Amino acid sequence: MKKLDSMLLKSFLYGLPVVIVLAVLSYVYSLGVVNNANAYFNLLNSFAGFVFALWMTLSLYLSFRLIISGPFRDQVMARLTFIRERDEREAILTGKAARTTFLTSLAILIFLFCLSCFQVSVYRLPPEKAVNGKTGIVSLGIGFNLLEHSKQDKPKEIIEKKDIFSYTGLPLSSTTVILILIIWQIISYNYSMRRLTKVIIR
Amino acid sequence: MSKPLPQLKIMNRLHVLRAERRMTQEQLAKEVGVTRATIIAIEGGGYNPSLELAFRIARYFGADINTIFSIEEETK
Repeated sequence: MKKLDSMLLKSFLYGLPVVIVLAVLSYVYSLGVVNNANAYFNLLNSFAGFVFALWMTLSLYLSFRLIISGPFRDQVMARLTFIRERDEREAILTGKAARTTFLTSLAILIFLFCLSCFQVSVYRLPPEKAVNGKTGIVSLGIGFNLLEHSKQDKPKEIIEKKDIFSYTGLPLSSTTVILILIIWQIISYNYSMRRLTKVIIR
Repeated sequence: MSKPLPQLKIMNRLHVLRAERRMTQEQLAKEVGVTRATIIAIEGGGYNPSLELAFRIARYFGADINTIFSIEEETK
């Protein structure tokens, strides 16, 4: 299993540049720059699709193995995050840096959760719809949806209003949030490790 | 409320023992199975070794652990 994982991981990494090249070629192909009747290019495009499908399957398998296999996770993630534990002091430093990373990530997640729930809207009503003679309205709310809804499901606004400021949920996509968190985890861990090393070695 | 515990500092004579044997930090690190950075940190007082490492160091120098490591109350 260990050998198979190692082999698949190498295939995944070496396959990455190939996938990028093939993606560019496919893009060029889709633009119609190259004559569609070109048999070689058609063949290459089919090959690109096949390689990409394999690479995607491989990435799903490897990410699942990362979750369930402790030794594989240690082997890959330690390299990715530059973890070096050669003795007890470095193991303690890793623990401290991991603790800092965990707590800061949790703080970021709480912050993002608040941002994704809060809804703030400042708008002006037409004079005939004024409330107690006031036309400026500040509307605050909290929204929590377990699942993403399409924009079509949202009820249509009946009141005619002039929006001054409107904030409803996080303007970032879930992919961006996940990517930010991955990058944060790596940066935070390495920064903490560097700082702790400087403090402990005097 | 309980009385606050005094701050304790672990002192060591590692650099003295090392100098007596004309050993480098790198050599000692190799002998006790740690990195040179750890020996630097212990000698500088920035890191307290685990009991296992302390015993390994004591065994290497053929000395009692109390003659290498001692405890002092930290004065503010």
